Amino acid sequence: MAKTITKEAVSVSELLDRPWITIVWDDPVNLMTYVTHVFIKLFGFSKERAHELMMQVHNEGRAVVSTGTREEMERDVQRLHEHGLWATLQRDDKI
Amino acid sequence: MSNFEKVGDGYSLDLTLDEAHILINLVEQLLELLGEGDFFHHYDSSDPLAQLLAMPAEIVTPDDPVLLRLLPNAYADPEAASDFRRYTEPQLRGAKQKNLRLVREELTILVDENHGGVIEELNADIWLKALNDLRIALSVRLDISENSFEKFELLPDEDPQKPVYAVYFWLGWLQENLLGLLL
Repeated sequence: MAKTITKEAVSVSELLDRPWITIVWDDPVNLMTYVTHVFIKLFGFSKERAHELMMQVHNEGRAVVSTGTREEMERDVQRLHEHGLWATLQRDDKI
Repeated sequence: MSNFEKVGDGYSLDLTLDEAHILINLVEQLLELLGEGDFFHHYDSSDPLAQLLAMPAEIVTPDDPVLLRLLPNAYADPEAASDFRRYTEPQLRGAKQKNLRLVREELTILVDENHGGVIEELNADIWLKALNDLRIALSVRLDISENSFEKFELLPDEDPQKPVYAVYFWLGWLQENLLGLLL
């Protein structure tokens, strides 16, 4: 998996400046209580924080649930997929 | 009527025989769709010899929309998505198969003995994930959207799709029931 990181010529500072993010997308199937439950379980969020993020997914169609290195985000996406949530990762484009 | 219950530190599920049949039928269909191959291995998966045969030559994006939803792309970029899939899809598929197999084992007892009953000390986490995967699979086949429940209620009873929708919403109710005990 390291291969995909090194093949891109990105400077260390750029990597540090622009972290990777995990996005959870809205779908009409996953129950709101289930999504909240998964957020608490996987990310250790408080019930309030998990509920807030779940509502963001529901109302805005997506929410960023974690930020970090590419490898960390790949792990988060994999764990979310194991729970049936629709998640992707990408480089944070906000900065 | 089926019901999850919290018993001490554990959870149980009371099912009628009909309900056990519906569940095991769906579980087995989904296992079939996910493919065989999840059994106890006597070797370490990092063994280069094991990798030699067990690693498929090519893991491609699934054509079937149910599989694509259960094993989704992790990246919007197709190249990054297929790279990631090559390394991670077998594990994801295996995790889903493992959950379904465990649920199947627990249902088999009821179905084989041909009566409804209580499944004691079930693994709530695994049941939750398996129920969710079953709902996802059905939702793709039924083309579920935000207003599907209203559509379901308006369907005439003789509509052949109506019982399938009913099973889908029953699974949601069951999952909600278990979540109510966990949250």
